[in-house]
Amino acid sequence: MWKSTVEGRALHFRLAGINNQNFLMRDEETGSWWQQVSGQAIAGELRGQALELAPYDELSFGLWKLEAPAGQVLAPVARDASRYESNWEPKVEKLPTVIDFPRSGLQPREVVLGMEINGQSRAYPLAMVLAHAPVEDRLGGTPVVLVAGPDGKSVRAFRSQLDGADLELFHKSERGWALIDSATVSEWNFTGCATSGPSMGKCLQALPLLKDYWFDWRNYHPQSGIYRR
Amino acid sequence: MTSEEGTWRRHARGVAPGLSARVGKAIKCFNPNRWGEFLTTELEVSRKNGLLPGVAFLLLTLSAVALFVIPAWIIQPFRYQSPRALSLALTLRQIAPGGTLLAGVVALFLAMGLWPRMSRWKKAATAVGLFFIAAAAVMARTDYFEWMFHPVSAPGFQSVTDSKLDSGEMVLAVRFGNEARAYPIRAMAYHHVVNDVVSGIPIAVTY
Repeated sequence: MWKSTVEGRALHFRLAGINNQNFLMRDEETGSWWQQVSGQAIAGELRGQALELAPYDELSFGLWKLEAPAGQVLAPVARDASRYESNWEPKVEKLPTVIDFPRSGLQPREVVLGMEINGQSRAYPLAMVLAHAPVEDRLGGTPVVLVAGPDGKSVRAFRSQLDGADLELFHKSERGWALIDSATVSEWNFTGCATSGPSMGKCLQALPLLKDYWFDWRNYHPQSGIYRR
Repeated sequence: MTSEEGTWRRHARGVAPGLSARVGKAIKCFNPNRWGEFLTTELEVSRKNGLLPGVAFLLLTLSAVALFVIPAWIIQPFRYQSPRALSLALTLRQIAPGGTLLAGVVALFLAMGLWPRMSRWKKAATAVGLFFIAAAAVMARTDYFEWMFHPVSAPGFQSVTDSKLDSGEMVLAVRFGNEARAYPIRAMAYHHVVNDVVSGIPIAVTY
């Protein structure tokens, strides 16, 4: 998800090609070519420019509508709605890839959550995160935590630091879904905000995650490590 | 070709259709002005004229087709794109609209100039060539990836309560200011890109 303004001009993108199974976009204004996953212009007048990331979440509709009851949902396009597939993921998983990193230990189509901080990048296999969240780590000198939502499928990442002090998050085992922190023993919700205790009202800084196939993440982050427990 | 030869050739065509196509050989035919006499001429000259435009026409056709086919072949799904191949493909895609147009215009002029002197099979070959150039020019201006994945021309939105989306379905969600929007993955996995404006901020939702 990108902010589409470049040099003061709002660009409009169209699907226009594919590069090693990551799609290419073309902007209507200059006809320049952009790589979807990196937001970089790779050919044309704007070559060398990069789009600014628009912070976003990938989460279940159920969770999102609790957080944004007044929000708006993209309506299906009538003539194309029959082509939308709800169960495409298992099908895509079986498709071949044209690049692979066999010595990395991950299958090319393993779904990972990619994170990049201060030039350091790491891939967190989704299945591992869902099984073991909250996952604590340090990346680019920053303490981070990956949290799985109450739906068991949405993941968010936060900087696990509050007022300059590191904190650790744990699942509170009794009644429903909640996290507590080791420093102030406050309760935290999935938006990263404390809902009770001494930190009540405070929020952790959300960090961008990219849910991607391993081969694609690794292709654009050649230095990326893999988080292993 | 001198005007005299031209006259002879027209005569040859008029009197003995088909003979005039055998360029380069001596053509013997009736002289229509003097009954009973024959005209004989060598039309070697017109062969020299004919080869160059023919080769030029062929090259124009091949270039125009290549401007579409080479990038299309490189930018195929399920095919590895090396950085060099991709760069070549995108460069060709950039020049293809102008290049095919230019090839088309030059080829058309060539064809029009030579048309009256062409044999039937050359006319057919020329028509086929022009068709290929026209097809390449159209394809150079076409985003054929959108044939398979239609773009969202104007995104429409529903309220949370109006949406028929299942709670378990994943969405891409943004919030700018007081506006929160969700883009169902199910739709994004088909359209791949949606241009939108949220709280005055133009964004490109991509998947």
